[in-house]
Amino acid sequence: MRRLLIIYVCLSLALLGGCSASLEADTHDVERLLLIQTLGLDSIDGGIEMSVSSGLGPEDAPALVMSVQARGIEDAIARLQNYSPENQLFYAHVQYLLLGEGAAEKELQKVIEWVDRSPTLRMDTEMLVVRGRARDAVVDVSEDAADITQRLASLDRQARSMGWTIHTLREAAAALAQRDGALALAVEAVPTEGKVFTDEQQSAAVVPMGYAVLGPEGLLEFLSPEASLGAELLTGDPTGLLITVSGCTMEILDSSARIEAARDENGAPCAVTVRCRLRTGVLERDAGEELSPEALDAALCQTVSAWVGEAVEKAQAFGCDYLGAKKAVLTSADDLARYGGEWDQLFPALPVTVQVEGRVDRSYDLAE
Amino acid sequence: MEDHLITRKQFAAAILVSQLSPLLRLLPQTAVGFAGRGAYLSALPALVPVLLLTAMLASFRRHMRPGEGMGGLLLRWLGPVAGRLVLILFAAWFLFYGGFILRSGAERLVSTIYPSSGQALFVLVTILLCLLVALGTLRAAARAAVIMRAVLISALALVIVFSTPNMDRRQLLPIGWTDGVPILLGALPFASVGAVSAGFSFLEGYVERPKNGRWLWGSTLLLLALGGVICATVVCVFGPALTATLTYPFFVMIRSISLWDLVPRIEAVVIAAWVGADFLLSTMLLRCAHEALRPVFGLPSPEGPAMGSIRDGRAMLWLEAAAAFGCSFFFDLPPWELRLWSDRYIPLMSDCVLYGGFLLLWLVTLPKRKKRR
Repeated sequence: MRRLLIIYVCLSLALLGGCSASLEADTHDVERLLLIQTLGLDSIDGGIEMSVSSGLGPEDAPALVMSVQARGIEDAIARLQNYSPENQLFYAHVQYLLLGEGAAEKELQKVIEWVDRSPTLRMDTEMLVVRGRARDAVVDVSEDAADITQRLASLDRQARSMGWTIHTLREAAAALAQRDGALALAVEAVPTEGKVFTDEQQSAAVVPMGYAVLGPEGLLEFLSPEASLGAELLTGDPTGLLITVSGCTMEILDSSARIEAARDENGAPCAVTVRCRLRTGVLERDAGEELSPEALDAALCQTVSAWVGEAVEKAQAFGCDYLGAKKAVLTSADDLARYGGEWDQLFPALPVTVQVEGRVDRSYDLAE
Repeated sequence: MEDHLITRKQFAAAILVSQLSPLLRLLPQTAVGFAGRGAYLSALPALVPVLLLTAMLASFRRHMRPGEGMGGLLLRWLGPVAGRLVLILFAAWFLFYGGFILRSGAERLVSTIYPSSGQALFVLVTILLCLLVALGTLRAAARAAVIMRAVLISALALVIVFSTPNMDRRQLLPIGWTDGVPILLGALPFASVGAVSAGFSFLEGYVERPKNGRWLWGSTLLLLALGGVICATVVCVFGPALTATLTYPFFVMIRSISLWDLVPRIEAVVIAAWVGADFLLSTMLLRCAHEALRPVFGLPSPEGPAMGSIRDGRAMLWLEAAAAFGCSFFFDLPPWELRLWSDRYIPLMSDCVLYGGFLLLWLVTLPKRKKRR
């Protein structure tokens, strides 16, 4: 009996450990495993185009870059595997998800649902919207010396130091579910020709282009660089962002922003005031410009007011709350219960005032 | 017999571990679906029905004779016809629910770790392991539960700590009076999970005395507190709206956890640990069904080391395992339909059987209890 028991337990363990034909599809041979690190999606007629890059391999082995057209995401994954029979493509370590304009417009909810159900992909994957096609960013940027993942990692570091925020798919999905609007960093693949001269082979680079506004159905619009700066001031941490005001290039040293509501006699929100405070430091200035520190402060406030105002106006025009105004205005549970349901009609009609308190701190270089 | 008695602490551990299985199946998304951002507060109103049920069961326990469980007591009080009928109904529920747990546990494991595999294999292996344990002494399962409790609560703590960087605590507020009704509705899934312990009163014959049930209160409070913390964590990470729509928000959250650069992913370990909770709940349900049917057919207690034997009424356990395995095929459904059963029908049926059934029995047996006082 005891022998029978031992055999039974060993058999069970063997089955659970994957030594079974039905589990073979889920086993991963480490030697054949190829980690996909960047995944791009584009929308095409009758389906999608998926582009992937594995990132540089050990000892700088070139990245495997592939692109296929398919009816859907799972179909594309199966087809990609067909084109790489010697490797087992493994998506558990995807770091960047690039959505082309078309995919961001039409496939956003599908992508969110797919990642939710996927046993491998993470909701915390960083998501960027590519102006144009994601394929161009994945395929054109990848070359022997550097591939898209490396470029995106560099962009990631640079974006953080420059004050841009790369949102994850989770953050975008949560914002969309809660307030019908989200921001995603927009990037563009631009040719390096005429800019980079050391590469033997000319390729492309990925550069940030401000923010894309996502609605429940998908991409609504790309914000202008100025409105993107305004949105970043209201939603993120723009410390390190470079701005140019009256011929002076400045770096934002710190900032804070608050959205407040004025109430009518019934307690209903009747106007919105956006208050921003920021401190900047001058990095360089045009030789001919002569501005007093006070005038520079005033110019900073005026410029930033316009940027923030544009970001708020866009939110009102799109009817999508990517700035989180609802949570800022309807602060109590009672407010939410009374006005939460009609927020989509209420918010676009509210007059907006932007008040910016700006200070240019390191103006010693302008004093003389 | 004394050698096979489970201590109250071991029994409390077995109950808590078993309840962790429905806890993570129901709580984040169903409770948040009802209560929104206030789901974490739903644990408080859920205390009332769960503690009332615990108190009600304690009033039954006080009248149990040494070595007697709920099955023996009900047969003694309700008589041979009504008693047998009630016990058969309870046994049927335990096996049906056991079948569901086997299938839903396999579905979770397959969909989160082994997407290309079939569920039948996992169901088969689990039921065979459950049968192996149920055929032997319950004490082994209860002792294993003490270790599993430590492992699962540590895993939960680890997940919560490492999810902290992704949390936005502002998601939990504001809460006002207008959230009162949703929060009360959100208590329903908490109460359903809490009620699972009621079924285990059929195993009381193997638990050391005293049987006043006060020892169970700490375990119940811990369970509801864990449920509240899980809801708060998941809502802080995903926000209430997204949490309500994700398939397994807690496990989706785990997928994003990295232990710095040392261990990039931990979800396989945590999800596999949860198989332990499914396994223990299935084992306990199998044994509960047996303890309900044992007095009906006058079978002896199957305590003892003869695991593969069919003596001492063990043949019935084989049949019960086959019945639970058969019931699991009833739930061989598409994922969305299984989720419907998981979120709505099973909790509703469980509440009817456990809250409704025990309340009815409590009322019917009221004169008996008064007479004995």
